[in-house]
Amino acid sequence: MLPLVGGRRLNLVRFSFLLLRGALLSFLAVIMTKLAQWLWGLAILGSTWAALTTGALGLELPLSCQEVLWPLPAYLLVSAGCYALGTVGYRVATFHDCEDAARELQSQIQEARADLARRGLRF
Amino acid sequence: MLLVAPATGTDQVVGLGLVAVSLIIFTYYTAWVILLPFIDSQHVIHKYFLPRAYAVAIPMAAGLLLLLFVGLFITYVMLKSERVTKKTQ
Repeated sequence: MLPLVGGRRLNLVRFSFLLLRGALLSFLAVIMTKLAQWLWGLAILGSTWAALTTGALGLELPLSCQEVLWPLPAYLLVSAGCYALGTVGYRVATFHDCEDAARELQSQIQEARADLARRGLRF
Repeated sequence: MLLVAPATGTDQVVGLGLVAVSLIIFTYYTAWVILLPFIDSQHVIHKYFLPRAYAVAIPMAAGLLLLLFVGLFITYVMLKSERVTKKTQ
């Protein structure tokens, strides 16, 4: 039986809770950078996929599900690439031209080149 | 005031071409990887798709080719800049 009474027992509970929380947080690294988060996510997803494809978990998935599962990383990469390509293409197609600003910029570039050439810089 | 105009002809063609290519690749690949296993193996649609192993082999080969081209380009640029600095010395 606990020989503690009242306040002292509460302090013990509070102390042990703080100890446990400190241990857990130091294990999880309180400040996690974006890179660490991405790597954690990739590691967890990758290990899940590996466990499912090698059958290490002992689940008997239907054959069609297994057929879909094993190319899944390649599929995700290809679809990410397609999304990137499509977004770039869409932004190129809908990007607005500024004729005046373009002309102004070109004339300023010519000015700068002439000035630098006069000061002796070789292009 | 900045006068903005819609993108010029070539830009639109190239942009929409890229969008179309990415959509075609995405739908074909999705059908190949995700939909085909659930379709009965005697169906005629399987004629339009290569054996399943190619679904991983072709993107991997394409990725390696891309890396090769990137490496070659970097080498070319580095050699060119080396030649330029050697000429000015």
